Amino acid sequence: MSLRGSMFFHLLRRGLLGRGNRPLIAFIALAVAATMITAMLNLYFGLENKLNRDFRSYGANVTVAAPEGIVLPPATIDKAQQIVPSGSLVVPFAFAIAHASDGSAVVVAGTDFSKLQSLDKWWLVSRWPTATDGAIVGLKAEPLISATNGKFDLNFSGRTLHLIKATKLKTGAEEENRIYVSLPVFEGWTGVRPSLLEISVPGSREQVNAAIRQLHEAFPSMAVRPVRQLLEAQGAVITRMRSVMLASTLLITLTVALCVFSTLTSSVLERRRDFAVMKAIGSSQSTVNGLFAGEALVIALVASFTGYLVGSGLAAWISAANFHTAVAPTMAVLPIVIACSIALALLAALLPLAQLQRIEPAGILKGE
Amino acid sequence: MLGVAVATAMIAVGVDVGDKINRELRSYGANIVVYPEDAALDVRIGDQQIKPVSGGAHLKESDLPKIKGIFWGHNILAFAPVLETQTQVDGREVRIVGTYFAKQLHFGTENFVTGAQKLYSWWKMDGSWPKDDSREVLLGSRLAEQSRKHPGDEIKLGVSPARITGIVTTGGAEDNAIIAPLSLAQQIAGEPNAIDEIYVSALTKPEDAFARRDPERMNAADHDRWYCSPYANSIAFQLQETFPGSRAEQIRQAAQNEGAVLSHISGMMLLIALASLIAAALAVSAAMATTILERRREVGLMKSLGATATTIASLFLTEASLLAIIAGLIGFGLGSVIAQRIGRTIFHSGVEITPVLLPIVIFLALLVTIGGSAAAIRRALRLDPVVVLRGDA
Repeated sequence: MSLRGSMFFHLLRRGLLGRGNRPLIAFIALAVAATMITAMLNLYFGLENKLNRDFRSYGANVTVAAPEGIVLPPATIDKAQQIVPSGSLVVPFAFAIAHASDGSAVVVAGTDFSKLQSLDKWWLVSRWPTATDGAIVGLKAEPLISATNGKFDLNFSGRTLHLIKATKLKTGAEEENRIYVSLPVFEGWTGVRPSLLEISVPGSREQVNAAIRQLHEAFPSMAVRPVRQLLEAQGAVITRMRSVMLASTLLITLTVALCVFSTLTSSVLERRRDFAVMKAIGSSQSTVNGLFAGEALVIALVASFTGYLVGSGLAAWISAANFHTAVAPTMAVLPIVIACSIALALLAALLPLAQLQRIEPAGILKGE
Repeated sequence: MLGVAVATAMIAVGVDVGDKINRELRSYGANIVVYPEDAALDVRIGDQQIKPVSGGAHLKESDLPKIKGIFWGHNILAFAPVLETQTQVDGREVRIVGTYFAKQLHFGTENFVTGAQKLYSWWKMDGSWPKDDSREVLLGSRLAEQSRKHPGDEIKLGVSPARITGIVTTGGAEDNAIIAPLSLAQQIAGEPNAIDEIYVSALTKPEDAFARRDPERMNAADHDRWYCSPYANSIAFQLQETFPGSRAEQIRQAAQNEGAVLSHISGMMLLIALASLIAAALAVSAAMATTILERRREVGLMKSLGATATTIASLFLTEASLLAIIAGLIGFGLGSVIAQRIGRTIFHSGVEITPVLLPIVIFLALLVTIGGSAAAIRRALRLDPVVVLRGDA
């Protein structure tokens, strides 16, 4: 064994290092395959998170509303904040109908501006109010308040509130009919407490539905509702994209594998003389197979680690260029990449050998 | 060569995926709303209506088919008019929302079907959609819970009887309303030909810096360019021109955020296509390297017979280019088939293959092949004919 063993490793080393750049070609081919597999799998696993995050910029996906004429119990906001997953936004809203100085009615909403700012990033607001008496005035409510120099008054059951228009709000939906003021100011003025929570739960449709169930159990008397339009759209787009990504991953991986396979096969066939010489001087089929397989294995291992690194980099670059945040490389991908590379390399090495086996070594050496 | 084929197929799919997802998103509600210019302010908190509904100005139902006649009429995927009114149902004031469900309309020679069924595909329906111009209605789910009605039941809207065909859950204010055909709502409101608002779903181009400029301050050329681009606000402007005395606004929540999702998705598909092109180039490079190694004797012979480096390089490059053109053609055909399959299985509609892609595909195939084989050819040129022909290489 010792002599045969050392001879085996000697041949293996010479086969890998002593043949100029021929093993390099096999290595490049395999590394390309491993890179593409890694990149596609990383993107496939990372895409859903990215898209889910994109959908969060639409605003709330869950609402908790008190029954008509009732307000939410004071502890609701804190309790809701504890129930929903971390990273969720819980924004309270209180509503009242006030009258402008000319007597026309307008809906006034009290809310937490700092939270609302992160919830509805898409609101076209030139600057968010910072002063306590600052108000956001909806585009359609604006003509009614007859502001002078941005200052205007609102009446609610005989009490007057002086406000300063901080900005105009343009959304194209019913928010334009309202005036938004900060919640403490609103409560001090009207004494009305929040009756609606708008919640933005991060994550997939399933995670949002789980949060809705938990909220339901915690607040049985409140109406907990998903914003269906948003959730359904999110679900549909993500399912579609997942299928598209799966299809492209399979397609690209298979093609690259085929290309690599043909390159590897021809590089093995090219060495049929080596194979014949070994057979002619009496080595057994299994030794020859072992030698070629060992070479393939070493190349595949090195190539898959290289490919994993390059592929993770590629996925991170694609994601950074596109979503402005990189996908974290998933360790779970590494075993798949190694397994695929080894399978590919072994298959490409042993299939042509099986073909050569049927030929007499003398025939190959004579050049037939 | 297969690599080139798939890379080009990826581009075909990548270009189309953005459009497909756009259509998908557009079936989740409107992105433009049209309302009368002097509409009274809607004072509503949740489902409580303080101001009486349908006071003031209306748009004309008879103008509706003209929507398809605007410059970007083909980009209008669906629209639904809305007329809100109220009536007594079992001694309670209930909101009635009149709309089209799947109404057949004609504009010029064009026939099309539009309405809530297309615009609000996410509505959860228990029962079936009512017919337009009938006495069939949908009941909002919360209202159905309170009144204990089921599909198939009769309901009295004020004095006129109607039949419930389905219970609908929308997650919005409609859950507390009765959704009726427009003609029935007009009859209840006593306002024939009247509509309050039109919700329009249009395929739009994501908003960019140009779209955010104020159209009124543009010069004539820029204004024309803006008018002829399918931005949400230029389509809104065209709708506004169609309906006298109306205002049209983009619904910013949809318009703005869809742009982000769409540009991310198509951006990613294109980057993946690019990555697979690079991978194809590397695979081609490896394949060329083996080919040239196999043919080194040939190279040696040519060299010893006096061929210059240019002759040999152009021989190999011509060979590779011919292969690339053939591969590009095959790749285009194969890619189209793959793109079709992906489109059919995932989006249930075929992918349109634009012939414009063909020259791009061929060009890319050439680029990849020549780029990929450059290194191998350079190495072949460095071979010493004596060494090669003796068989020592």
